[in-house]
Amino acid sequence: MKREHGTGDMRAAKPKPQVPWLEWLAAGLGLIFALGLFGMIGWQAFNGATVPPAVTVEVEDIARIDGGYRVLFRARNGAGEAAAQVEIEGIVSGPEFKAETSRVVLDYIPGRSTRRGGLFFTRDPRSGALDVRATGFAEP
Amino acid sequence: MTSGRYAIGLARAFGGAILFGIPLLMTMEMWSLGFSMGRGRLLLLLTFTLLVLVGLSYFSGFEKTFSLKEDVMDALAAFGVGVITSAALLMVLAAISLEMTWGEIVGRVALQSVPAGIGAMLGRKQLGAGQDMDAEEERKREAGYGGELFLMLAGALFLAFNMAPTEEMILIAFQMTPWHGLALGVLSITLLHVFVYSIGFSGQESPPEGGSFLSTFLHFTLTGYAIALLVSLYVLWTFGRTDGVSLAEIANMLVVLGFPASLGAATARLVV
Repeated sequence: MKREHGTGDMRAAKPKPQVPWLEWLAAGLGLIFALGLFGMIGWQAFNGATVPPAVTVEVEDIARIDGGYRVLFRARNGAGEAAAQVEIEGIVSGPEFKAETSRVVLDYIPGRSTRRGGLFFTRDPRSGALDVRATGFAEP
Repeated sequence: MTSGRYAIGLARAFGGAILFGIPLLMTMEMWSLGFSMGRGRLLLLLTFTLLVLVGLSYFSGFEKTFSLKEDVMDALAAFGVGVITSAALLMVLAAISLEMTWGEIVGRVALQSVPAGIGAMLGRKQLGAGQDMDAEEERKREAGYGGELFLMLAGALFLAFNMAPTEEMILIAFQMTPWHGLALGVLSITLLHVFVYSIGFSGQESPPEGGSFLSTFLHFTLTGYAIALLVSLYVLWTFGRTDGVSLAEIANMLVVLGFPASLGAATARLVV
């Protein structure tokens, strides 16, 4: 980091200076990254990236918590296009009580990806029928 | 030129990538745009960025270049630095995790690598000791009118890209009346003119020989504003902000985004 590398002798030196190995390495890595990104994004472009979202919900866990019950779910977008503001609705219904509905909105579910969330109920979802599904989405 | 000196340049490039990339790395919209924007548009954006990086390398890379081959190598290196920096920081900020699908991770990193890559290229000038300033000025002089326009484009692209992902751009456009739009347009053009030609910046463009106010205004200011608007339109389209939007509303957005874009165009010479 000395300052005496005068600009003068830099320019006066041979017009074709030798390229240091580190430069080859950095540029080579950059090329690999660029081609890799292009390849992967290009692959997505030709593999259903424009298929509109299809969200399925799977209940993963039901647990008793203070003041009620918690249902953990996993929402999966099986199509290529991302879904925004996905509303997940869960309904607990049983023969001897009024059906209880809980909702949550997931900001985004990218294409072919999953997002997790939870719903709270006051009734025990295991005492009746539990139905959890996605009710709608917006395009991002 | 040795590997040691190149390593110093690389270190500055990483510094620039962090410094210039951090606003967008911490912008929520960028994360979702990374996976939700059109794949074709993302590819086009990356290609465009690489081309701009090659051009920027000519004017001010993190090392002095001698040929197109070296400019391309520097552009690739800056892009690589941008990708590594983006991936590392997104990981630390928990904006990407290994639970995500690779498609999502690639999208987020690729989009962030655009500002980070440009930042890497500018890192040397901003963080460096300022060597070869004369050579740079000489290049800017040699490049002439076309070079000026390219620098304006690069500056407009960088600033427009920093603003365009946010919801605020659309919100501002929605809440403006036509009079606000006109006022902002006039303000953009005035500032563009004043910034580049009236205030004594280093590397200031001297008005073209025999250049009256009017000819300078027509040659540089209006052209610069046109570039700013075109870049704004391109960036808005890239992020899907123009899809299904009426022409009048697009015009409003253009004026809004054209404001930072024209400031970027005006000050590009200072940063590059």
